[in-house]
Amino acid sequence: MTRSRIPQAAGLFLVLFFAIFPFVYSANDYPYIMHTLIACFYYAILASSWSMLSGYAGQFSFGHMGFTGVGAYTAALFSHYFYLSPVPTGFCTEFLIGDQYLVIVDAIGVTSSTLTQDCLRKALAVWDGSVQITPMPVWLGIALGTIMGGVFGLLIGLLVLPLRAAYLALFTLGFSEILRATISAEIAITRGQAGIELPYLFDSGITLFGRHFDKTDKLPPYFVMLFLLLTCLAIMFWLTKSKFGLFVRALREDQDAAAALGVNTTRYKILVFVITSMMAAAAGAVMAHYIRIITPNNLMILQMSLVVAMAVIGGVENVIAAAIGAILINFALELLRNSFEIGPFTLDMTIWRLVVFGVLLMVTLRFFRNGLIAPLIDHFTRGHVAAETVAQRKVAADQAGGAS
Amino acid sequence: MEFPHIFWGVFGWMIFWAVTGSIATRYFYLRRDLDTSNAPFVGAMLGASTGPIGLVPLCLNTPELTTRLMVMPALASVGVLMIAFGFADPENFCVANGSFVASQIVNGLIIGIIYGFMALGLTLIFSILGVVSFAHGEFYMIGGMITYFLTKVWLPGINPILAISLACLAAFAIGAAFERMFLTPMYEGKVDRPVEYGILVTFGLAFTIQYFVQATAGANPLKASRYFDFPRIRLPSSADPWLIKTSRGNMELFETISISNPRFTAAVMCIIVFGALMFFLHRTWTGKALRAVSQDREAAAIAGINPDRMNMLAFALGGMIAALAGAMLVQAFSWLPQVGAIPAMRSFVILVLGGLGSIPGAFVGGVIVGLFEAAGTGCLPDPQKAASYIPAYGMIILTLTLLLRPTGLFGRRFATGAHGKF
Repeated sequence: MTRSRIPQAAGLFLVLFFAIFPFVYSANDYPYIMHTLIACFYYAILASSWSMLSGYAGQFSFGHMGFTGVGAYTAALFSHYFYLSPVPTGFCTEFLIGDQYLVIVDAIGVTSSTLTQDCLRKALAVWDGSVQITPMPVWLGIALGTIMGGVFGLLIGLLVLPLRAAYLALFTLGFSEILRATISAEIAITRGQAGIELPYLFDSGITLFGRHFDKTDKLPPYFVMLFLLLTCLAIMFWLTKSKFGLFVRALREDQDAAAALGVNTTRYKILVFVITSMMAAAAGAVMAHYIRIITPNNLMILQMSLVVAMAVIGGVENVIAAAIGAILINFALELLRNSFEIGPFTLDMTIWRLVVFGVLLMVTLRFFRNGLIAPLIDHFTRGHVAAETVAQRKVAADQAGGAS
Repeated sequence: MEFPHIFWGVFGWMIFWAVTGSIATRYFYLRRDLDTSNAPFVGAMLGASTGPIGLVPLCLNTPELTTRLMVMPALASVGVLMIAFGFADPENFCVANGSFVASQIVNGLIIGIIYGFMALGLTLIFSILGVVSFAHGEFYMIGGMITYFLTKVWLPGINPILAISLACLAAFAIGAAFERMFLTPMYEGKVDRPVEYGILVTFGLAFTIQYFVQATAGANPLKASRYFDFPRIRLPSSADPWLIKTSRGNMELFETISISNPRFTAAVMCIIVFGALMFFLHRTWTGKALRAVSQDREAAAIAGINPDRMNMLAFALGGMIAALAGAMLVQAFSWLPQVGAIPAMRSFVILVLGGLGSIPGAFVGGVIVGLFEAAGTGCLPDPQKAASYIPAYGMIILTLTLLLRPTGLFGRRFATGAHGKF
């Protein structure tokens, strides 16, 4: 095996490890570790898609959490307000589709459940269990969320076309903040800071290979998230290796020069926004169904800063390095949730871990501009290129020296 | 007709013609081969205020876009919006109650001056380093924190002015040290994309400072006591003080407008320091050197100014200004490690609204943002909703400015350096 195959072998090993891990591991903290890993995958999707947008295409966006919010809230509102019923309720807005009625529940916001009830609860009280209503399928909500993320990405991509660098960052930050304020203010529809509850990812459990998994089981969401991560990484890896990646990199290095050479900068700028925001929205929707509650605080700048820091520490110009960085850092942050005793001092790492994290971010930026993981990959895959370049230069220098 | 329909009808009409106007004007100006940098803004504002009546002549004649043509439609569209609001909701406090309006305006003005002052620090950093400092809110926060701990915990009874100065010095030192350690590679061309590097590294600083303070000072809200009391004034007579009436913590003008002491002292302090800063920037050698670097780095270097030292000074000074705003406001608001996020966002808004590195722009922008927010919080019919929307008001201004007129109010159109590009 040649040296340049090592990262590929390591990647394969990592994927196999994550695929086998939940079947092998059986300690007491199994649910906790599984939950941490699901969060790791979630952040890995966000960090890698952000690095595609910011590191690879140079569109430095602070609105990535806004897109996850779009996905999560679309899924949440969809499952909260739409139901199928075989009998008309008589209270709600409803349409006949096939032999079922599509019931749209009215928005009542956060109220005491004993005083005011939405129209569906009223109808259920009248029927008294004689009619079975069906909630909308979860996958349809996730798909809708992903599409909505794409639509918003298209809109933002169109609006930011003339903006660059710092202005782009401020505009996307503005988008994210306006979205957050709107969600927290429109309590009647989104329930504001109280948050919307969502159904389980697999509400009636799921049977795989003859084994039934309960709806609270961590294993199905774990594999859903892992599958989503691998799909996103595969798409992005393929994009970076294709002509698309080349054009997008040209866009990052010099937009005017790229346009002069015939790259349709408008199209690629918008496309990269749409693709990455769809990934963020899909991740947000799946995560919301797994956590089962979504609040506007998910869109806060703190969350965004975590994603940015993970991508930067991993390596902002390499999507796979960013994903690995996110997994490692999220895991490390979880491991640091305890206190150390050094002599007479007790160091409560639950607070200090984030200080350490911030310092790590600054130091990485200052001294390891390509992140901590990306150079490692490059060392193996492109190490021979560097060696060849050095050798060529040496030869050239020798020849120049001999000639003079 | 009730409130929502009439207001939203007018609002939708204005939005429609604004969007149409901005696109159509740009198209027509481009076809005649004229300067389009201000066309979308004028088109949008004229469309919003007059609809097709103003837009058609504008597109057909394509006159030169003077300052007057930019200011008048903008004011007119604000006026139309206000009139629509007045007709739609005549019962509203903002329409029916004159004293409420007056006190909202005064309070908006005062808070706007403080915002503007804080944004001034960011403008200074931006115009000289070309970096949007994401740690600006954290400088504001440590200014308040240090002042609180000095006056309440470490040295109770210390003169507040001294405590504020010490807090400013500490912020200055942190800013200078950070600039030396982390921002220097930007100038030497060692970083591929300096603007993004600057944003990220100040972001890291913000993260570190915020959690460091949380780890050391805890996450309980803190509040300093009032620095100064108002002297007791009753004018024109103590029996009937209709003109001005002060108690120790409050001032009442014309029996309608009440201003709280902490905000008033903060605004006065900001104006004084603003004056001092203007003197420094325009009358001293160092200040002139700073402005020279912001205009043209290379030319300043040829003239014997060390641009790197000016970078350090600008960053430290910007941080110090934010810390001063924080130190003055810690007596007005409760202080938490996360308190810097909101004023930082406002500073970004003002930075963009005022224009690239424009110091008067920062002040005017601050006042506009303050008034806009006062109007937004005071006039929306549902107070709970209005309060939840507070973070969005400024951001709406920011996005609109970036879309319609990226140079802001007083921006230089052809600035050099990294911050000249959009």
